[in-house]
Amino acid sequence: MSKTRTRRSPGEWLRSRDGQKFLVITAFMIIPLLLLFVFTYLPFGEMFTYSFYKMKYTGARKFVGFDNYKKVFTRDDCFGALKLSLYYMAGSVVQLALALYLATVLSFKVKLGGLFKGFMFFPYLINGIAIGFIFKFFYTRGFVFDTVLSWAGFNIENLPYWLKDQSINNWSLVGTSVWRYFGQNMVLFIGAIMSVDSNLYEAAMLDGATKFQQFKYIILPSIKTIVLLNVILSISGSLSAFEPPYVITDGANGTGTYFVVMHQIAHTQQKVGLASAMAIILLILIFIATIIQRLLFKYVFRNAEDEDINATTRREKKLARKRASAMKKGGMTA
Amino acid sequence: MNLKKALAVLLTSAMAISLTACGGAAPAAQAPAAEEAADEAAAEETEEAEEATEEAADTEAVAGDLSYTSLSLDDNKDLTASIKYIHHKTDREEDGTMANMIAEFNKEFPNITVTTEGVTDYAEDSLLRLTTGDWGDIMHIPAVDKSDLSTYFMPLDTLDNLSQELNFVSSWSYDGLCYGIPYMANAQGVLYNKAVFEKAGITELPKTPTEFLDALQKIKDNTDAIPLYTNYAAGWTMGAWDAYLGIVTNGDDTYVNQKFAHTANPFDDPGDDTGAYNLYRILYDACANGLIEDDYTTTDWEGCKGMLNRGEIGTMVLGSWAYAQMQEADSHPEDVGYMPFPMTVNGTQYVAAGGDYNYCINVNSSDENKLASLIFIKWMTEKSNWCYNEGGYTVVKDGANPDMYAAFDGCEVLSDQDAVAGEETLLNDMNAESELSFNAGGNDKVQRIVEAGATGSESFDDIMADWTAKWNDAQEELEVEVNN
Repeated sequence: MSKTRTRRSPGEWLRSRDGQKFLVITAFMIIPLLLLFVFTYLPFGEMFTYSFYKMKYTGARKFVGFDNYKKVFTRDDCFGALKLSLYYMAGSVVQLALALYLATVLSFKVKLGGLFKGFMFFPYLINGIAIGFIFKFFYTRGFVFDTVLSWAGFNIENLPYWLKDQSINNWSLVGTSVWRYFGQNMVLFIGAIMSVDSNLYEAAMLDGATKFQQFKYIILPSIKTIVLLNVILSISGSLSAFEPPYVITDGANGTGTYFVVMHQIAHTQQKVGLASAMAIILLILIFIATIIQRLLFKYVFRNAEDEDINATTRREKKLARKRASAMKKGGMTA
Repeated sequence: MNLKKALAVLLTSAMAISLTACGGAAPAAQAPAAEEAADEAAAEETEEAEEATEEAADTEAVAGDLSYTSLSLDDNKDLTASIKYIHHKTDREEDGTMANMIAEFNKEFPNITVTTEGVTDYAEDSLLRLTTGDWGDIMHIPAVDKSDLSTYFMPLDTLDNLSQELNFVSSWSYDGLCYGIPYMANAQGVLYNKAVFEKAGITELPKTPTEFLDALQKIKDNTDAIPLYTNYAAGWTMGAWDAYLGIVTNGDDTYVNQKFAHTANPFDDPGDDTGAYNLYRILYDACANGLIEDDYTTTDWEGCKGMLNRGEIGTMVLGSWAYAQMQEADSHPEDVGYMPFPMTVNGTQYVAAGGDYNYCINVNSSDENKLASLIFIKWMTEKSNWCYNEGGYTVVKDGANPDMYAAFDGCEVLSDQDAVAGEETLLNDMNAESELSFNAGGNDKVQRIVEAGATGSESFDDIMADWTAKWNDAQEELEVEVNN
């Protein structure tokens, strides 16, 4: 703000080019900002205050300081439920690998590629609750999954109870979530791969690069932003897994994830303060996980980029050696 | 400078607008809470807010000269009003029962328009709608604290007056005023299939947990039916086991609301096949001995109705409200039977009966709508026959009971007494604090019994000891006086 400009009266300033620019910008921004504030920041602030109270939805509340936070860490059903997220994280690794593989295959010329893409993306379009009900019947003893496996030669007597057996039921639930989301990841990957300049492939082919080398040196570095995004989304998704365990097993039988436990505490037990504290802690965990991933990715992709430079130096060294030996040979013959 | 100032003014005004918008939309009862939350100084504010709600409660309780018993249906035939009724019976909304009843009602009261809405997932949704204030005139009371009743609902009558005409009206009363009237009442027994019992060679209905487990074993040995279907996956069907606490397990109608919260060891084995211990032991032993469905995690509530009807299921532990649905589910309604819970206390089998969801009236409705709503409730209770048709135990004193209760002859039918003054919310608080939530959605604790019984991961005594520990911790936390 220079002194000369402030001498103008506010009315003049508003009519000036700067003033008009300012007016238009604020006018356009005010509605989205208002919505963001009212529906995101205000409720979040409210929740943050709730987390310091012992309260129900209705009735009086009592300030308890950090007691709720202490409880989250000392109760074994709250923090312990995060262990289940490991299942979902393992699932998300499988999911991303599968999505990346299929995306790479499908982004080259494949017969009926569009059809495959459609089939694999389709589960993402189905409502999560509906998927829950589908898989409830899918896993029921003697229903779809068992029948399909018995066609493949499995004896139904040897098959586990997919939802009853506590050593396997979490994997069953993870399976539904992989089935639902890998298609969406795949489509995001395909979109990113499409944006890679095709001249690069041609050049690589001329240099004699294999398909895997093309993937490693061209595709992966070019789509690393999308890979990072997908990893962050699926890790925070696995920390907050809710729909499969809630709809399919109601969180019973050792499948209650952090979110399901939080839901039960907030709505059945009506300990709103405790549930809010759980939510805040989950938010912090997701922040931490995201930061760690960013650092990790910086490290991983630093190597991937350096690889090119190393490769050139190696190549130059090789050429130099060849030239040197050729000169030696030349020298001997001469 | 100007730019900054203008921006600051804009931002603050935007915030102020959004804040007032929020405040305006919230109902009166919520306003103190919202203000308080916005403020940072917390502790003192809380007390003020409490006082404010209490004051509101006091004034509401005195107001209102409408009362159920003094209202005459004949005097108000030409009242004109339009009221809205939200309820949990989505099945009756869909099959037209509700519309038929309202058509009957309109024959007598042609100018009262009743709009109805069946709400799926009623227990949760209704609570949310209640806090927004904009839900209509009549609803079924969701799980609110009794001390908050007067903030939301109109008192229908005094408890003394109402209990002379109707049964089971004490469950939603506070300070001598009644806020709800049950649309029907349930007796807590056990559903069974008569044909399966006959085939299994069970000639007399079991009267104790041990006899009941023997009967289940007979069903397993002699028939193909599932002896006891737990309905584990549906969740709430497991919480249904809590309904037998008190009256059924020890014959004391004051136990649940007055003594349970003060009991030091409510889950000890009394040693005579009674008590909460033996109630849940039935479930544990049935699971441990393979007397339940093969894969309990994939049970199907809609499907089980037909299975019981067809004789593929021997017994299910559910309230009498389920009886009509089981009969309608398939082609063998005559095989569906209902018996008292197999537990005998000092030679008597006790049956707990109590109101289902209760009608209530919005305290913020207009006077006209309040009157019309009360007329509608009175008509529904006394003239619609809804309770009888649903197989409910009669709400109107000395009304007719359906035939299904024939097996209850000779049993003592009781309904839970109220909590003593000053302890109306104690059981709720204990339930929430201990997270066992008896009769309040504590499904997971009963599911745990099934898991432990079926997999052997925990012994029954360990579970009972754990419950006792949770109960005692909650008593300590809430500083409840404990009697041995």
